[in-house]
Amino acid sequence: MHPRKSIIEIFSTFLEFASHRLLGWAKDARLYRSMQNVIKQTPQEASENFWVKYWYSLLHDPEVGRLAQEHLIAYLQEPCYWAAQKTSVSFASNQYKLADFFQIAIAQVGKVFKGFNPNGDFVLKNYASTIFSSAIRETLRQRHEIDICTDWALLRKISQKRLVEALLGNGLSLDTMTAYVTAWNCFRSLYVPTSASNTRQLLQPDEQTWEAIAKAYNSQSQTPVNPQTLEIWLLNCAKAARTYLYPNFTSLNTPTGSEDTRNWLDNLPGHEQDSLLTQIIAEEEQQTRSTKQSEVKTVLEDAVAELDPLLREMLQLYYAQGLTQQQIAKQLQIQQYTVSRRLTKARESLLRSLAKWSQQKLHISVTSDILKSTSAVMEEWLQAYYNPSQGWSIGEQEDKGTR
Amino acid sequence: MTANPTIFTFASPTDLILEIPTDTSYQVWQQSKVFSNPASRYQAYLNKLCFLAVLKWLQEDISPQTKPWPSTAALPSFWELVNGSTISVDRTRFVLVPSEAMDVSELRVAQEWVDIPSWAGDYYLAVQVEPDENYVRVWGYCTHELLKSKGSYDGCNRTYSLDATDMISDISILGVARQLCPEEPTRSAVAPLASLTPEQAQNLISRLGTSEIVTPRLEIPFQLWGALIEHGGWRQSLYQRRLGLPEQWSVLQWLKGGVLQLAEAIGWESFSIQPSAAGARSVKEIQHGTVFSRPLVIAGQSYELRITPISVGESTIWRFELRNAVVGAAVPGGFKLKLLTEDLQPFPNNEDIATIAVEQLFVEVALESGEGIVWTVEPLPENYDQEILKF
Repeated sequence: MHPRKSIIEIFSTFLEFASHRLLGWAKDARLYRSMQNVIKQTPQEASENFWVKYWYSLLHDPEVGRLAQEHLIAYLQEPCYWAAQKTSVSFASNQYKLADFFQIAIAQVGKVFKGFNPNGDFVLKNYASTIFSSAIRETLRQRHEIDICTDWALLRKISQKRLVEALLGNGLSLDTMTAYVTAWNCFRSLYVPTSASNTRQLLQPDEQTWEAIAKAYNSQSQTPVNPQTLEIWLLNCAKAARTYLYPNFTSLNTPTGSEDTRNWLDNLPGHEQDSLLTQIIAEEEQQTRSTKQSEVKTVLEDAVAELDPLLREMLQLYYAQGLTQQQIAKQLQIQQYTVSRRLTKARESLLRSLAKWSQQKLHISVTSDILKSTSAVMEEWLQAYYNPSQGWSIGEQEDKGTR
Repeated sequence: MTANPTIFTFASPTDLILEIPTDTSYQVWQQSKVFSNPASRYQAYLNKLCFLAVLKWLQEDISPQTKPWPSTAALPSFWELVNGSTISVDRTRFVLVPSEAMDVSELRVAQEWVDIPSWAGDYYLAVQVEPDENYVRVWGYCTHELLKSKGSYDGCNRTYSLDATDMISDISILGVARQLCPEEPTRSAVAPLASLTPEQAQNLISRLGTSEIVTPRLEIPFQLWGALIEHGGWRQSLYQRRLGLPEQWSVLQWLKGGVLQLAEAIGWESFSIQPSAAGARSVKEIQHGTVFSRPLVIAGQSYELRITPISVGESTIWRFELRNAVVGAAVPGGFKLKLLTEDLQPFPNNEDIATIAVEQLFVEVALESGEGIVWTVEPLPENYDQEILKF
């Protein structure tokens, strides 16, 4: 993959795959024009990071939110590619190729946008990358589990939130959905596995159980239904939950902007645009971020150096070599559970150093919220530290673009 | 993909994956028979697996000062009725919320653990239980405060749910937060529940005390339900009724046939008393020569609570005694033994206070047939759970 050179390209082109092979960058003409347009209105040269902030700040704008999102998705193609690439080292199979990992990851941009804190010490690219990596693994885990579950087991092994999302994705009406969720709750409270394990092989409920489920449902609903209907509903629920994990990805990486956004670009009142741009530029100038980031780097390097050698080795194997915890256990000849607990301990120790440092040097009073973002910064840093070659920016902001 | 993928193939370092030893799950399954219906049994099974794995982790990696709340013996009476359990670590309460869901997209907590004042916790741990692969996965946590402020309440199944993105998914934050920001508020205010009379409570217990009602928690308004099960004695009573057991805390029954199963499980036992040990009272007054006793641990020291029936003419007086478990050792000054009515009301001459160290504290009461007594001690004993002793 060739990195993109110009700012316009970075915010308007998308990776294209054909039957699992990477073809290259495809330009989206509408996004390209939009970038040309905004750059024209910028008083001075602006960095990549400037445009990230710019579009991020417009993400929830009722008129251009969608457009902003598409620009940012274009921007995030690279971290997504690297996350997919890295996972494919451990996980590529006949079933999954690089392109699949890429698709799984890019589908998580919503989570990236929600969790990203533009005012903190985050770099969107790095933050996205940590989300992408864990999302690919998590999705693969869920697919693996879902594939070996019977429909009835699956119905016990999804959350209500997931069920509702899956049903909404199927375009069910609110009434139908409420009925399905009620039926599902009755099913769950009345039909349970009857052995200590093999819960994934749960068989179809017997007639008596169906009667009980129907009785429970009918006591809660205005419109009585029979067991046969409930069975159909629940199988529909199971089907929806399965397809939720295997969505049709083709549309996700190719934006379909509406005409409205184009009109907006032409009609935007000049002064509003100006003030937003000026504001972001002013913020950029005030930033003392790069010095702070290099200090963070020193703190964490010291903290890593102080770790027990075994913990250091685990971090190395996990972050640099991309080994799974299963592979780490094998390589170090320790229990898999030990790997999980030790990694948690190692991260806790690093996080404590970092938090104490910000308490003492930056006079920040530590809260759980601050620790939450500190942990994300730390995760970014660990990725960057152990993968210096993969386009992670660390220490200073990259300032690559010009018009 | 790796030939034989497991949870460790996919795990990210922010997750904590804990082991359920294979023989443990089999044992727990065998033990989980004391429930009124298959759904409760399965709920208890998952809860116990979660409880054992997380307790071990808390003890080894967070703090050795770890105690199940209110006591391990009381847990089945919770799991018969509701999902979840609580472990105290120092003064912090961790509510464990096990779930079968594989998608880790939300935490869903039964309202009881949020809105019953004495049940509410500081931290809520989201735990995925996977019996087929013998692991539990602690995938995130939140505070009571966050659950109340950002969570949404679902009236249909009386749960608070919190989106995974609003939770703290990196479990290593927990230890750091407890150390570096101990002052951070973890709780929201919780309104007190209704107060029930013993008659109301008995009516509710009769109504809900059948295994045919699979989810009694949804049968009556939460205000009543919460008040009913917050009382340890009523919760136990509902549990034994649902199991079809006779009254387990009937001291009169204990006199006839020995201490019953559930009471025995929390430490009650009976023994015959030698006349010389009866103290100032004459032998004639000791009705059956039987004493009931249970051990208590208060501030790390062992004590004993005793109940002795004493004949006075035609009637019986019941003597409640608190003494040190070590013969000759004292009950320290400041200790208080107090008896309350079934609905936790005081009555005249219901307490004895040690102003200085004393050999024993005692309260003697004459009781009507069928009357219930709840004892309490200050400072509160470890594993204290209200119990209604029936006379």
